[in-house]
Amino acid sequence: MAVVSLLLFGFIIVGMAAYGYKISAKTAEDYMLGGRSIGVIVMFFFVLFAVSSSWTFYGFPGMLYLHGPGYVFFIWGSVAGFAALYMFLGPRLWAVSRLNGFLSPVEVLSERYDSKFLRIILSISILAFIIPYVGIQPLGVGVGFEALTGIPAIWGALYTAILLVLIVLLGGMRIVAWVNIFLGLVYVSALLGSLIWVVSAALPEGLTGAAKYLLERNPAQLSAPGPRGMFTPVLMAGTFIVGLIAFSWPHITIGVMTARDKTLFKWFPLLIFLFGGLFFYVIPFLWGSIVAPAVKPGITTVAEADRVVQTIITEHLPPWFGIFVVMGVIAAAVSTAAVQLMTSSVIVARDIVQGVFKPDADDQTITSWARYSVIAIIILSMAVSIWQTQAMALYLTDVSIPGFAQWAPALVGGLLWKRGTKQGAIAGTLAGVLYLVLGLLITVDGRRPLLLNLHPVMPTLLLNTVVYIAVSKLTSPAPAGIQEQFFDEVDAFLRAERSK
Amino acid sequence: MREMFEHRAGRIYLSMLLLSIIGMIGVIFSGVLEQKVLVFGFITLPLLVGIVFVLVWLAAYLVYFFKFWPYR
Repeated sequence: MAVVSLLLFGFIIVGMAAYGYKISAKTAEDYMLGGRSIGVIVMFFFVLFAVSSSWTFYGFPGMLYLHGPGYVFFIWGSVAGFAALYMFLGPRLWAVSRLNGFLSPVEVLSERYDSKFLRIILSISILAFIIPYVGIQPLGVGVGFEALTGIPAIWGALYTAILLVLIVLLGGMRIVAWVNIFLGLVYVSALLGSLIWVVSAALPEGLTGAAKYLLERNPAQLSAPGPRGMFTPVLMAGTFIVGLIAFSWPHITIGVMTARDKTLFKWFPLLIFLFGGLFFYVIPFLWGSIVAPAVKPGITTVAEADRVVQTIITEHLPPWFGIFVVMGVIAAAVSTAAVQLMTSSVIVARDIVQGVFKPDADDQTITSWARYSVIAIIILSMAVSIWQTQAMALYLTDVSIPGFAQWAPALVGGLLWKRGTKQGAIAGTLAGVLYLVLGLLITVDGRRPLLLNLHPVMPTLLLNTVVYIAVSKLTSPAPAGIQEQFFDEVDAFLRAERSK
Repeated sequence: MREMFEHRAGRIYLSMLLLSIIGMIGVIFSGVLEQKVLVFGFITLPLLVGIVFVLVWLAAYLVYFFKFWPYR
C-alpha cells in the first residue's frame, strides 16, 4: 500500500510538470523565471515551502526536544528576514530585472558593478554553498522511506531525485512554483493533522495538560537555556541574527524576479507574518517543545530526537496516516530542493555558460544548458552528500548559511547604495568567502580560533561589509550611466508602474 | 528601502522595525526567558516574545505599506 501510494503521489507531481512543459512558452525567461508572471498567492507558497524543507519535520522539532524553546529565535529572525526581502530589496530587484531583461540576481549584480570577474566569483561561491544542500534532501527522504516501507534508503533517495529532475527539467520555474502549492498543502495537512490527532489521542488534557506535565517533571524544557543549558543569551541572539540574514538565501532572492507586478510586494509580507510567523512555524514548535517531550520523554540522542515526530506518529496513529505523513515529508524536501536546483541551473546557464563562455548564445541554447545542468547538479550534489554524510548537518548551519550571506553586502549595496563600487564588491566578497573557508578549515582542539568561536556568519559577514564599504569609499563611484540605470530609472518605473 | 528614507513616515517605519530588533535582543539578554511562565497554559515565553515581535512588524507594515509607501 505504501509503495503504491508513493508511486501515485509521484505520478501526480510528474503530471503537473508535464502539463507545465506543454503550456510553457519555451523561452529562457519563461523557463528560468516563469515568464515573470507569478502572483502573490503562488509566490507565497513558492517561497514558504522553498524555505521549509524536511528540516521543519526532523531537525527543528528535534532541536527543540533536546534543547528547549531557545532555538525558535531562528524562526523569528527568518520571518523578519523574508519579509525584509520583499519590503526593502524586492521591488528594486524586480524592477531593474524587468526593465533590463536580467534573468538571474548574479547577472543583476555583474551589470550593476560592470564586472565579469564578480559574476564568476558570485556564481562559484553560491553554487559551492547551495549544491550540497540540494543533495541532502533526497537522502533525508530515503531514511523516512526506509522506515515506512522497509525498502533500502537509496531507493527513496532515487525516487526523490527523479521527481526533482522531472519537475525542474520539464516545468521550469513556473511549475516549480505551482507544484510547491500542491506539495505545501500536503505538508501542512500532514504536519497539522498529525499534531491535532496525536494531541487528542495521546494527551487527554490537551496542550495545557502536556505543558503542566512538563512543568512538573522537566521544567527546564519550557524555558531558556533549555535542559542542557545550551541556549545562552549570546547563542539565542546569534541565532536570531542568523535568521535575519535569510533575505540573502539565493534560492529565495531569485523568487522576487518572478513577480507579476509590484502589487505583490505590497501584499506578500502580510502572508508571511500571518500564515508563516503566526501559524505555520508554530506547528513544528509545538510538536518539538511541548507535544513530543510529553508523549515520548527520555530521548537523549540527536538521531532519535530528529525522528521523534515520525516515531510518535508511527506509534500512535494508523499506518495509512503514516504513509500520508511521509508524503508530506517528501513534499517538503522536494519543494525546497526543486527551487534550489532551479536556481543553480539558472546560475550555471545564464551566469557561467552565457556570461563567460558563450555571450552570443540564443534563448534555446541557454535553456538547453539550464536543463543539462539540472542533471549534472543533482548527480554532483548527491555524490557530495553521500561522500560527506556525517558532516552534512553541520554543513547546512555552519557552511551554507554563512556562505549565502557572503553576497549580501554586494546585493544590498548594489541595489540601495549608489556609492557602492565594483572594487568594493569584489574585495568584500573575496574577503568574506576566504575568511569563512579559512575559519572553518583551521581548528584547534575542535574550536575555530579564526572565527573567534562565534557563529561563522557573524565575523565573516562583518569583515565582508566593512571591506565593501571602505573600499567603495576609497574608489571612484560607478559611472553616471549605471547610476541612472540602476537607481533613477528604477525609481521612476516603480512610481509610475500601474499594477496589472 | 531608498524610498523609505526619503520621507518622514518611512523613517519612522524603519526606526520602529529597528527598535523592535533591538528590543528583541534586549529581552533575550534580560534573563526573562529563564522564567517558567506559561501563557494560556501552554505558550512559553520564547514563543510569546516572538509572537509579539511578529505582531509589531505586522502592525507597522500594515500602516506604512497601505497608507504611506510611495510605490503602493
